[in-house]
Order: sequence, then C-alpha cells, then structure tokens
Amino acid sequence: MAPGAQRCGALALLAVVLGMPGTAANAQALDGHGISGFWSPGFGATPPRRAPTPAEAELMASFPEGTVVLADVGATEFPPGDYGGIAIHEALREAAKTYDPESQTTVALTCKPPGLIYTMQGPFPMEIFEGRDLIAVKLEYFDLVRIIFMNETSHPDDWPHSQTGHSIGRWDGDTLVVDTVSLQSGTLFNNGVNHSEDVHLVERFRLADDRTLVVTQQFEDPGSFTGTAARVMSFSRGDDHVYPYDCDPSYGLSMDSREGPAGP
Amino acid sequence: MNPGRAGRGHPPLRGGALIVSGRLQNNAAMLRKLIRFCLSASALVFASFAGAHHSAALFYDLQGSVEVSGTVTEFRFANPHAILRFDVVGEDGEVQHWTAETTSPSVLRRRGWSQDSFTAGEKVRLQGLPSIDGSYLIRITRAFREDGTEIGVPRGTDN
Repeated sequence: MAPGAQRCGALALLAVVLGMPGTAANAQALDGHGISGFWSPGFGATPPRRAPTPAEAELMASFPEGTVVLADVGATEFPPGDYGGIAIHEALREAAKTYDPESQTTVALTCKPPGLIYTMQGPFPMEIFEGRDLIAVKLEYFDLVRIIFMNETSHPDDWPHSQTGHSIGRWDGDTLVVDTVSLQSGTLFNNGVNHSEDVHLVERFRLADDRTLVVTQQFEDPGSFTGTAARVMSFSRGDDHVYPYDCDPSYGLSMDSREGPAGP
Repeated sequence: MNPGRAGRGHPPLRGGALIVSGRLQNNAAMLRKLIRFCLSASALVFASFAGAHHSAALFYDLQGSVEVSGTVTEFRFANPHAILRFDVVGEDGEVQHWTAETTSPSVLRRRGWSQDSFTAGEKVRLQGLPSIDGSYLIRITRAFREDGTEIGVPRGTDN
C-alpha cells in the first residue's frame, strides 16, 4: 500500500475511533491546521545556539520573563554538573554527583523511556494525527503515544501519573497550545537530575511554513528547580511513517559483556 | 589481518603492555558483570525516577576516531542500538573479541541498513568513536565491506 493510502487509512481509523463521521466538514477539520503528518527533527542548532527565526521568535515571546532557554536540543547533551543555567535545588545537585550514567544501559533501565519532556527534544521523528476532539502524537522514540484532549479544558484530579501524562489542547490562532500534567518523574538533562511528578509542561506547535513545524516546550517544577525552563525545536515534514521502536533490553547485556584491556 | 590503529585516548590494538591476557580479559568481564549487577539492583530501587537515553558520551570519546578491521561473528539489529560482534586478530595471533555499537536501527533503516547488513564470517572495516575505558568497543560512524563498498548511507549528524 502506498504511504499516502496508509496515511488515509490511519486517519480514517482515527476518525472512527474519535467518533467523527467522514463528512466533508470533518475532513476539513482534520486538515484544518495542517500539522498532521510525519515530522523529522532537525539536527542543526536551535535557539539559543543561534538567532531565532520569525516563527520561533513569535513562540518564544510567550515564555514568561526570566525563562531559561536550554541549549541541549537534539544530539547535544549537557555534561555532568551542567544544568543549562537552571537553578536546580542544591539537594538534587548533590544527589546528581553520585549518579552513574552506566545505569542507563542496565537491563532494568535500557527500555525505560527517559521522560516525555526529554523525549520530545530527542533526535527522533513523530507522527501527528489532528482531529477535532483530540490530537494523537506518535513518537518513534520508545513507541510513546500521546493523546491531547481538545474537548477538555481542565485536568482530572485523579489522573494516574504516566510517561505521557494528561494533556489538554486548544488552538490559539494557528498555534496549538498543549498543557500537560501527571507526568512520571523523568530526566531533565540526562545527567542525573530528574523532575518531580508535579512538573507542569506547556508546549506550542506552529507551522513556520508547510514543511517546517516549530515546537516549544516550557516547564516549571518547584520540586526540582526555581523558575521556568524552555526548549525550542524544529521539525521538517517528510513522506514517511514512524517505525516501531520495540526496544530490546538485551542491549544492556551486550554492553555489559564487552571485553578489552580496561574496564568500567 | 590488520587490526587497525587507535585514535586519541585509545590503547594500542596490538602488542605492548596494554594488551592483556585472556585470563585478565575474563576477570575484567567478570568484574563488569558484578558492577553491572550491583547497578541493576540499585537501578531497580530507583527505577521509578530514572530512564534511559543511552548517551554516546557515556562510553565514547566524542572527539576521537578509530578504524578497526575484523571478521563478523554476530549482528543484532534491534533498538535502542544495534550491536555488531567481530573478531580482530593481533600481530601476536591473539584474537580480540570486539563489540561495535550503532545508533538506533530506526534511524539506520532510513540510511539503508537492515538486519541483513552483516553476515557472520564476512570481513568488515569500521570507522567510529573509540571507547573511553579502552575496552574493545567502537561506536560505528561508517562501515565498509571487504571490497570497499560502504554499508548504508553515511550519517549527517549522529544521534
């Protein structure tokens, strides 16, 4: 089946799942804001490592005053002890000194996602299915699937914490604004500091042009740092689908059994 | 077979005091397993607030480079990272059992790789990042068959 036909099939399936009959009006709604499709992360620098584009600057204007924009998007990672200028609580800084990064390759943790906030900026593609009542975002990294409720305006009090949390969205003109809570604790920088389960994430998705999607994330977590942190990401449209990730924890064993004249 | 040459921060691949005996290699592997067991046990305790991103910076000198040639013994094409096992014979005849790691197979599929990219017994030449700890480990950036044919399409920026 051709990719286009597969995409139509997937959208039709989503329409059924969402309870949306295949009317012309709904078809227009599905195509309404143009963000549906396959998006690959750019590997180039994003702000603050370069000057923002007009579309990026427009979204960044939404950041609260004093927001720290992190420079670790994509393949870039902060080294141990570098938190990008965020005022991490002292107790967490101290705890991070004992963090052993090799724990990432243990069988127990190899296939545990690093957390939605960090995952969104990672160098993996995503596929967006835009509906009227909800928007589905399938992330290739660790097979995470996000559901953004467009027909709800508040978060439930008793929503269980999870890798993807609870997300509600609204359109502010051509910008999709997504508010997420109930996230499980996850890494902030992949270097030993984790956010709490009270973290509050706000994301904005906006087309810079038909082929470029700008995404910003800003998050606050009084349990781990003071103030607001943010990242700016850029994605390019592609004619593809997200692949299954099917993480294999035996990777940890492979790294464990490496040989050589020196050891960890 | 030419075992290749080491890059910055990497021990010689043959000869010299840094090449240890099979017994010492086995002891090193046992020590790693013990350390890894302890890490796994502690990781289980803290599993609720830790996840895995499998940073290349953990194991590799990101500024270094190394080229190694050898004979494939095993290839596992699965996320989070593919693993290629291969043997390198040093000038003294000692067989070194190497592990080569790639980026995510999801990424590699889009660069023309597959589970059939390597066959046990074939000779390959690998370019990549050297290990930080000196173990027989390489992070592949480019791979070539014996006739010089490159496997897949070279990456732009690694992830």
